[in-house]
Amino acid sequence: MSALKSFKRWFIDPAFSRKKQFLRSLEIFKELRDRDLGHLVQALHSRSYREGEVIFVEGDIGRALFILESGAVELTRPGPGGEAQVLYKLEPGDFFGEMALLESLPRTATATATEKTHLHLLYKSKLDSLLAGEPRIGVTIMSHLARLLSARLRRVTNDMKFIAPKHV
Amino acid sequence: MSERREFPLVPVLLLGGLAAYAFFRLHHALAPFLLAAAFAYVLNPVVVYFEARGFKRLHLVAGGYLAAAALSFFVYTGLKGVIVEETELLQNRAPAYIQRLKTTAAVQQAALTKKLPLPPKVAEHALESALGGALHAVQELPSRVLALLPFLAHALLIPFIGFFFLMDGPSGVEGLIQFCPSRFVEQAIHLLSEIDTALGNYLRGLFIVMTVIFIVSFFGLVALGIDNALIIAAISGVSSVVPYFGLVMGILIGGAMAFYQFGTAAAALKVAALFLGIRAFEETLIQPIIARHSLHMHAMTNLLVLILGGELFGFLGLVFAVPAAGVLKALATVTWSWYTSERGFDSGGAAGAGVPYT
Repeated sequence: MSALKSFKRWFIDPAFSRKKQFLRSLEIFKELRDRDLGHLVQALHSRSYREGEVIFVEGDIGRALFILESGAVELTRPGPGGEAQVLYKLEPGDFFGEMALLESLPRTATATATEKTHLHLLYKSKLDSLLAGEPRIGVTIMSHLARLLSARLRRVTNDMKFIAPKHV
Repeated sequence: MSERREFPLVPVLLLGGLAAYAFFRLHHALAPFLLAAAFAYVLNPVVVYFEARGFKRLHLVAGGYLAAAALSFFVYTGLKGVIVEETELLQNRAPAYIQRLKTTAAVQQAALTKKLPLPPKVAEHALESALGGALHAVQELPSRVLALLPFLAHALLIPFIGFFFLMDGPSGVEGLIQFCPSRFVEQAIHLLSEIDTALGNYLRGLFIVMTVIFIVSFFGLVALGIDNALIIAAISGVSSVVPYFGLVMGILIGGAMAFYQFGTAAAALKVAALFLGIRAFEETLIQPIIARHSLHMHAMTNLLVLILGGELFGFLGLVFAVPAAGVLKALATVTWSWYTSERGFDSGGAAGAGVPYT
């Protein structure tokens, strides 16, 4: 058994396995098989950000989903006086900017790294390639995005407390 | 809302211009590195396939090289007899081939002089001018083929440098992304993705075409009983780097060899038919597979960039002219996409968006 372990350790890339393990821990990818996670690791780009570095600015056209592996990110919008208001603080394992995978429209908030941060980026065209070449991965991601979108829309609909429309 | 991100056009153009000039001045020295990069690029998907299963890149590349060395050894051992025989045959017969071509040209010239409705001296002079160029080109053919030898001399250097390119894999791209200003990261990935698609598909397609032409023409020439089948097939395969050039070389060299060997025009015609058949086979069966992912450039554009590439950079220009045009096309696509999305021309939107949430 230990011989098999040392044999595997010699052949298997530990950094690659660590990335796969990290992705497996995320809700969005938990249904994927080991091999699918391997393809996903290859589709991701990684980048480190310094403390205070702006990842994207509200109004920038979004084209990628960001997955936070380590560090912390704040999503902010300008308040009435122009000062930045924190909308959400993201922790390792969170992802943001996901709507860019569906449409190339302006970002609705500014994302800033509040400490040394490491992110994985899934670019829109890579997701398109995955949808064509590895449909299982693409469908899993799209299905999760659809559920997420639906949940957010339901919450907004409830929050609005509007009067029942006449034409429905 | 934030201020609009302006594309840094001037610095990009300046850097691009400097890089192009540096490449123009240093292209001879860079040749093995460029060919090695292309070699690694073609082979990378094999490494990626196994890497997705978690294997270390070092072991995959080293194992692949060992397997390729073993395969090459067995292929060489199997074909050694044929290679030695063909080389000796070519060395012994090359002067005779040239002489035979000269004699044939002289005989044909004399026959044509008699047939032309002109005074003999005038006809002879006219034919000498017309045929002289063609004969000169035929005489120069071996030296032109030999001019490709320095690139064949890279045969060992290319896999050696390619090993390091393969070992580095995507780390170079990741380095570029890390170096890129954070607000332009998504654009940089878009550009790299477009270039990767364009270049990768073209180079892999080219590799498939060269291999298919080499193998099919070798067996075809052997079936027709043509001497030096291996060399002719290799020249035809390698020169397929330039569209249609492989076909022309195959017909010219193979046809000349058949004519010399059998002494009949029918034999040369058979060789021409073989290469035209290979071309039709490639057009109907291979190209549809490759074209799905090709650069989608007009034939005239292809021809123009090949002429420009050949004029500026010689053989290297012929090999890399079309992929370089593909990179420029990707750059234009990304710039246009950037322009339309940043200016709000791509509004997105979906059918049924007006229906209330139920």
